[in-house]
Amino acid sequence: ILSRLQRSQSTALVSTRREPPPYGFRKSWVPRSLEDFGDGGAFPEIHVAQFPLEMGRKKRTSNALAVQVDAEGKIKYDAIARQGQNKDKVIFSKYTDMLPKEVLNEDDPELQKPDEEAVQELTEKTRSALEKQVSQKIAAAMPVRAADKLAPAQYIRYTPSQQGLAFNSGAKQRVIRMVEMQKDPMEPPRFKINKKIPRGPPSPPAPVMHSPSRKMTVKEQQEWKIPPCISNWKNAKGYTIPLDKRLAADGRGLQTVHINENFAKLAEALYIADRKAREAVEMRAQVEKKMAQKEKEKKEEKLRELAKMARDRRAGIKAHGGEDTEVRERDEIRHDRRKERQHDRNISRAAPDKRSKLQRDQDRDISELIALGQPNPRTSSEAQYDQRLFNQNKGMDSGFAGGEDEMYNVYDQPFRGGRDMAQNIYRPTKSADKDMYGDDLDTLMQSNRFVPDREFSGADHGPRRDGPVQFEEDPFGLDKFLEEAKQHGGSKRASTSGRSKDYDHEKKRRKE
Amino acid sequence: MFVLLQDVQKHSVHTLVFRSLKRTHDMFVSDHAKAVALDDQSYKMKMAVKMRAEYKPVLHMPVLKEGRERGPLHASDPYGQLGYPLPGALPDYLVTGTHPYPSAPGVALTAETQMQKMPFLNSGLLPRKAPTMPKPQWHPPWKLYRVISGHLGWVRSIAVEPGNQWFVTGSADRTIKIWDLASGKLKLSLTGHISTVRGVAVSTRSPYLFSCGEDKQVKCWDLEYNKVIRHYHGHLSAVYDLDLHPTIDVLVTCSRDATARVWDIRSKANVHTLSGHTNTVATVKCQSAEPQVVTGSHDTTIRLWDLVAGKTRATLTNHKKSVRALVLHPRQYTFASGSPDNIKQWKCPDGNFIQNLSGHNAIINTLAVNSDGVLVSGADNGTIHMWDWRTGYNFQRIHAAVQPGSLDSESGIFACVFDQSESRLITAEADKTIKVYKEDDTATEESHPVNWKPEILKRKRF
Repeated sequence: ILSRLQRSQSTALVSTRREPPPYGFRKSWVPRSLEDFGDGGAFPEIHVAQFPLEMGRKKRTSNALAVQVDAEGKIKYDAIARQGQNKDKVIFSKYTDMLPKEVLNEDDPELQKPDEEAVQELTEKTRSALEKQVSQKIAAAMPVRAADKLAPAQYIRYTPSQQGLAFNSGAKQRVIRMVEMQKDPMEPPRFKINKKIPRGPPSPPAPVMHSPSRKMTVKEQQEWKIPPCISNWKNAKGYTIPLDKRLAADGRGLQTVHINENFAKLAEALYIADRKAREAVEMRAQVEKKMAQKEKEKKEEKLRELAKMARDRRAGIKAHGGEDTEVRERDEIRHDRRKERQHDRNISRAAPDKRSKLQRDQDRDISELIALGQPNPRTSSEAQYDQRLFNQNKGMDSGFAGGEDEMYNVYDQPFRGGRDMAQNIYRPTKSADKDMYGDDLDTLMQSNRFVPDREFSGADHGPRRDGPVQFEEDPFGLDKFLEEAKQHGGSKRASTSGRSKDYDHEKKRRKE
Repeated sequence: MFVLLQDVQKHSVHTLVFRSLKRTHDMFVSDHAKAVALDDQSYKMKMAVKMRAEYKPVLHMPVLKEGRERGPLHASDPYGQLGYPLPGALPDYLVTGTHPYPSAPGVALTAETQMQKMPFLNSGLLPRKAPTMPKPQWHPPWKLYRVISGHLGWVRSIAVEPGNQWFVTGSADRTIKIWDLASGKLKLSLTGHISTVRGVAVSTRSPYLFSCGEDKQVKCWDLEYNKVIRHYHGHLSAVYDLDLHPTIDVLVTCSRDATARVWDIRSKANVHTLSGHTNTVATVKCQSAEPQVVTGSHDTTIRLWDLVAGKTRATLTNHKKSVRALVLHPRQYTFASGSPDNIKQWKCPDGNFIQNLSGHNAIINTLAVNSDGVLVSGADNGTIHMWDWRTGYNFQRIHAAVQPGSLDSESGIFACVFDQSESRLITAEADKTIKVYKEDDTATEESHPVNWKPEILKRKRF
C-alpha cells in the first residue's frame, strides 16, 4: 500500500492553471485575460490598466446596489429598504421583527419608561423647538415692527492654509469681523409663494410585515367558485338572441292556431238570444201600447159622456129660452167666446211662468230670430227702402258733429227700447242659489250642525246672524229715548225728564 | 392475568395525541434545539474512518495557518462541525451561521465572527432560561352597573376630567354633554358644533375642553365660562380624533385628509402637519417620552412621529386592516393597536413588535388599558373583550344589551375610557347610551378560573 502511495505521489497531476510569473520575473509580461491574474489582483508595477475579476470597469448606470455586509458578516438585505434614508432610521424588514417576543415580567427593565430627567430633558428640547417654529409663523403674520436689533460683532481668527510672503502680505493669520446683514423691516416678501408645484415623491415605502398568506385548500377554493353567467336573452358577445333560438323556444310560433268551435257556437247562441229578446221586448211594448190606447179610449169615452151630460144639463137649463136658430147661433158664439176667455184666464192663472209665444219671441236674439225665419214675416209688395236712407244729414253733418268729441251720436235710437227694461230688473227669486246650494237653502241656513255640544269655557257665543248686517241692540238707548220723547210729547219736557231720569238712573246705579 | 381496579378513562384519539405531544414538548422544550450529545469514542472512530476513506491522499499535506489558529478549539477536525457543543462554552451558545469560516479571507477572527447567538425559535413564549408558560394574572370580571341615556344620537367620544368629578361625551347629535361621574346626572350641555363631535379631551394643565368634529372644526372651550374661545382652522376634512400632550401646551388632531396636525394651544398656529399616511388617520395618541406622537390610520399602518422635526420616526406595517384604535400603557413603555385582524402590542420607542392578541374578530373601535394590566377592546358589533395585558389572555367577553327601544343591530362601542381611579370603565355606545362597568367584587379565582390554554399546535409555519 505504501508503494502505491509513493507512486501516486510521483505521478501527481500538474495543475493546468496558468500562474502569473512570480515577482521579479515580470519584466515584459502583461496580464490580458482573467486567467492571467490567477488568484490575486492587479499588478501595480505593470503600468497597464488591469481589471482583475472585471472590477473597476465603467459600467452602464444600473440601479443595482452594491452588496453590503454588516459587522457580523451577514449580508445587509435591507439596504434596499434603506436606500434613500438615514442609516439610523428605524426600519423593520427582517422576519424576526415579526415574531412575537417572549412575555416579560412586568417590572422587567426593558419595559420601563425612561426616567423623569430624560423625559424632562426631551420635553424641554421639544418645547423650545416648537416655540421657535410657532414664533416664526406668528412673526410672519404680524405687522411690521421696528427693525430687530442684531448686534453681534463676531470676530473670527482665521489661519489660511496658503501661507507665504505673497499671500496676506506676509501675515500668518487674519481676523474677520462677522456682522449679520440688516433686514429692511419695510421690505415686502422677496419670493412668490403662491405658486402651486406638484408634491415631491414621498419617502420610500416601509417593508410590509405581513405574515405569509395561508395556504388555500381545495375545498375553500371550490367554495368561491362562481359559475359563469349565461343569459337566456343575450349571447356571449352581447347580441340579442333571436326568438327562435332562445332557450325557451319550444316551437311556439310554428304551430297553426286551432280555435275551438264552441266559441263560434257560443257567439251564434248569443246572437240568437239577443234577437229573441228584442222580439219579445217589442211584442211586449206593442201589447202595452194597445192596452194603453184602449185605456185612453175608455177614458175619453168617459170624459165625452161627462161633457155631454154637462152640456145637456146646461142646454137643458137654457132650453127654456128662445129656440130660434139665430138666437141659438148668437148664444153659441157668445158661449164660445166666453169659454175662450175663461180658457185663457185659466191658462194664465195656472201657469204664470209660462211665457206666451209673443213674449218668447221678443226675448230672442236676432240671430235666433233669423234662424227661425221670424224677423221679417211680412213681405209687402211695394219696394221697401232702408229707413236708414231717410232723414239723414249727409255731408258735413254726417256724424262729424262739428268736431265735438264728447257727443255720442253713433246710435239715434235705442236698440230694443225700454219696453222690457222692467223685465230685466233683478228680482231675486226664492230659488236663486239653486245651482249653488241645492233646493233647500233655508234648511241649510237654519242647520244647527256646527254648533258645538260643549263649548270652550270663556268663549263668547255671539248672536246668530240672520242677515248680512246684524244690527246690535242699541247700546245708548236712543230708540227708547225717542219713543219716550214721542210719548210724553208736549206735556213734559222730554229732554229734561229723560235726562233727569237718566241721571237718576245713573245715580241710583252708582249708589248701588 | 391482571384485573384492572379502575376503568381506563376513554379519551378521543385527538386528546390522546395532543397529550402525548404535550408531554414530549414539555420534556424537550428547553433543549430540543440542542443536538444529541455525542459519544466521544464513537465520534473519534467515525472521524478516523472518514478521513481515511475520503481524504487519504492529502493527509500528509500541511495544515493551513488559518486552520491552525482554530486548532485548539476543534481538536481533531480541520473542518469544524456544526452543532457540536464546544467544551467550556455555554450551552446556550451554539456555533451557527452561514458558514464556519469568516466571510472574507484575511479578515481577523474575532469573537463576533466566530460565535453567533442562535436566533429564537418559533415562540416568544418559550424563553431559553425559564421553560415555563407564563401564567396570566387573575382579574375580576367586569359587570354593567349603570346605563346613562340622554343623548339623541350615537355617543362618539368620552373624556374624564383630571379631578375625577365629571366626564364629557361628544355625540352625533352635535352636542357635548358633561355628566357627573358619581351619580350619572347631566350637568351641562354644550352646543356649537354643526356635525358629529368625534373627539373630546380635557386638559390637565388649564381649564380647557377641546373638541373636534366632522365639520372640520376643532374648538377650545373655556370651562369657566362654558364658551368657545378658540378655533383651530386648517383641517381639510372631518377631524376624527385629538389628543393633548401631557407636558407641552400642544394639541394634536388627526383627520380624514390623511394628515395629523400639531397646534400650539395659545396661538392657534399649526406648528406641524404630519403627513405621510395615505388614508384617513383614525386615531392619535401623545406621550411625553419618545415617540411623542403615534397615529393609526385606515391605510393599515401605524406611524411614530418625531415631534421636533415633524417627520415619521418609524412605520409599522404589521396590520392587515385599518387601525382604528391605539392606547398607550400608563406604566410601561409599550402601546397597543387594534384592528379587525388582531390587537398588537409594541414596545416604544422604536415600535418593536411584542405580541398579538387575537380572538376579537370584529372591527375594534376603541382600546383602553388599566394600571392593573386590564386591556379593554370595544368593537363595532357591541362586544367588549377584556384581556390581560402581559400575556394576552382574554378573560372576559361582554355583550351588553341595547337600551329598550333600540334595535339589536344598533349595538356598537365607539369609545371607552377608564376613569382616573381606574376602577370604572365608561363606554360610549351606538344605542345612544353611556354604559358604566365596574369590577365584580363577589368573584374570586375559584368562581372565575383562568382557562389559559396557549396554542401549542398552531406554532407551525403557514
